[in-house]
Amino acid sequence: MTEAARPSVVPRRRPGGGTVLLCLFLTLGLAASLAGATEIIANRSVAVSSLSLASARAVFGMRQVKWPDGSPIRVFVLPDDHPAHGAACKERLNLFPYQLRQSWDRQVYSGMAQAPSEVASEEELLNKVATTPGAIGYVRKVKGNDPVKILSIE
Amino acid sequence: MIRSRFSPSSSPPWLALLLGALLLAGPARAQELGEGLQAHGFISQVVTHSSDNQVGGDSDDGLGWGLREMGANLSWRPTPDWLLSGQVLGRWAGETDDGGLRLDYGFIDRTLVSDGVNQMGLRVGKIKNPYGFFNTTRDVAHTRPGIIMPQSIYLDRIRNFILSAPGAALHGNLAANDMDISWSLGMVQPDTSSADLESLFLLSDRVGKMKGDWTWLGQVMADFQGGRWRAGLTLGDVRMHYQPGGDPLLASGDNRLTPIVLSLEHNAEKYSLTAEYTQARHENGGYGASPLAVGLQKPNTVEGWYVQATYRPSLDWRFYVRRDEVYLDRNDRYGKKNPSPFYPPFILFAKDWTVGVRHDWNAWEFSLEYHDVKGTLWLSPLDTAFGNQTQDWDMVLLQAAWRF
Repeated sequence: MTEAARPSVVPRRRPGGGTVLLCLFLTLGLAASLAGATEIIANRSVAVSSLSLASARAVFGMRQVKWPDGSPIRVFVLPDDHPAHGAACKERLNLFPYQLRQSWDRQVYSGMAQAPSEVASEEELLNKVATTPGAIGYVRKVKGNDPVKILSIE
Repeated sequence: MIRSRFSPSSSPPWLALLLGALLLAGPARAQELGEGLQAHGFISQVVTHSSDNQVGGDSDDGLGWGLREMGANLSWRPTPDWLLSGQVLGRWAGETDDGGLRLDYGFIDRTLVSDGVNQMGLRVGKIKNPYGFFNTTRDVAHTRPGIIMPQSIYLDRIRNFILSAPGAALHGNLAANDMDISWSLGMVQPDTSSADLESLFLLSDRVGKMKGDWTWLGQVMADFQGGRWRAGLTLGDVRMHYQPGGDPLLASGDNRLTPIVLSLEHNAEKYSLTAEYTQARHENGGYGASPLAVGLQKPNTVEGWYVQATYRPSLDWRFYVRRDEVYLDRNDRYGKKNPSPFYPPFILFAKDWTVGVRHDWNAWEFSLEYHDVKGTLWLSPLDTAFGNQTQDWDMVLLQAAWRF
């Protein structure tokens, strides 16, 4: 929003004004696309199309284990040090990977919840989510013909 | 005395078989055995070396190999609303624990309400007691804030007493905007079988027996901004009584402990600050009129706190420093008002500087930790008799741990 206010200053630099504006928009556009680089994906059987941030954290934190229609949620994740895991945690859930790990460990070793299913690669994660009813996960790039649905976080 | 309490007869052979099978069967981090069925486990070994006082074996100017833990658990979620969980634990800790296998927890959890964000459920069986940030998984090296737990809040001498117990607990989660509140309220019968518990409340492991009575434990934990800030309150009304048997010095008596624990944590990407504070009022009645009984009847308020700073330059390295202080009687911190003929005054407190480093490698974890301590409150007289304890001491610990 602060960047949006700047064009009132920019036109004063007459000769390069248009170029500066163009650069500004390009930078903003790039930043926006990077910020949205990770997508939360779900199996096509999942009835919802969006999750609140609180709900998404509860699902990936393994505290929420069923969809609103009562069917079980299956959570798939990548290893803690995988770049896509870090990106999904920070961009989509707004938390750090070590926090999620702490929260899983505390629940798993006290019997209060089960761990998510860990897979090695984004391809495998996409396949698991596509073929497992009730599944949820994340990837950095979803292609138009991938057999999963994208959930928006609100 | 200890041997008889944790004799092989008290640990059914099926526990050993199950533990062995699960540890052997766990090559990967999480073992999914089937639809909704998971197994996890852990094992750790600590080596200790101290200037004085024994911790985990012959550590005093030598090496102690007597701190070891292993555990394995199974959980089964047949439907989203039902969860069955159980864990077998073996723990060795110097003279206070000899590794006899025990059921750490085993319960059924039924979800009663769930609307997609908020939920509430009921656990029945032998359950883990939420107490401060770390109590429920204090035996799992990977989840601890260091090798030795902050003793102000997680006093090892009463670990069994506080850790897990048969009973029932209502628990729930409320989420709104950028806040998540988890809570639990449990009614349990605490475990009083440890000889170390008697050494704390009765000054020695006596011929009679402590028995747990119905006890309330409640906790509310609030996470703000996905856990950037966490704040918690734990309250308890813990009760037990003493059956003297043939005790020549003590008649039957009752003990009541009412702890309050405040917890606060800030988590940033590279560092965390964690602090907890406790006050626990302890009152008792009965015990007769012997000099020992009269000494025990005096009520006291335990007070303790710690602050820990943890720096994580990367996911697999962390460095930490901690100050931890605990006093058995906040109104007589150094035993000056009421000197006792039964023990030196420095067993009434412990002030500890800790620095440590931890490295994670796949499912392994390696830690090195140094303690500079004044006072011996958290040492067990079963390891070092009161008469042999030294007030100013330091200690180095090395830990290796693996989990799946």
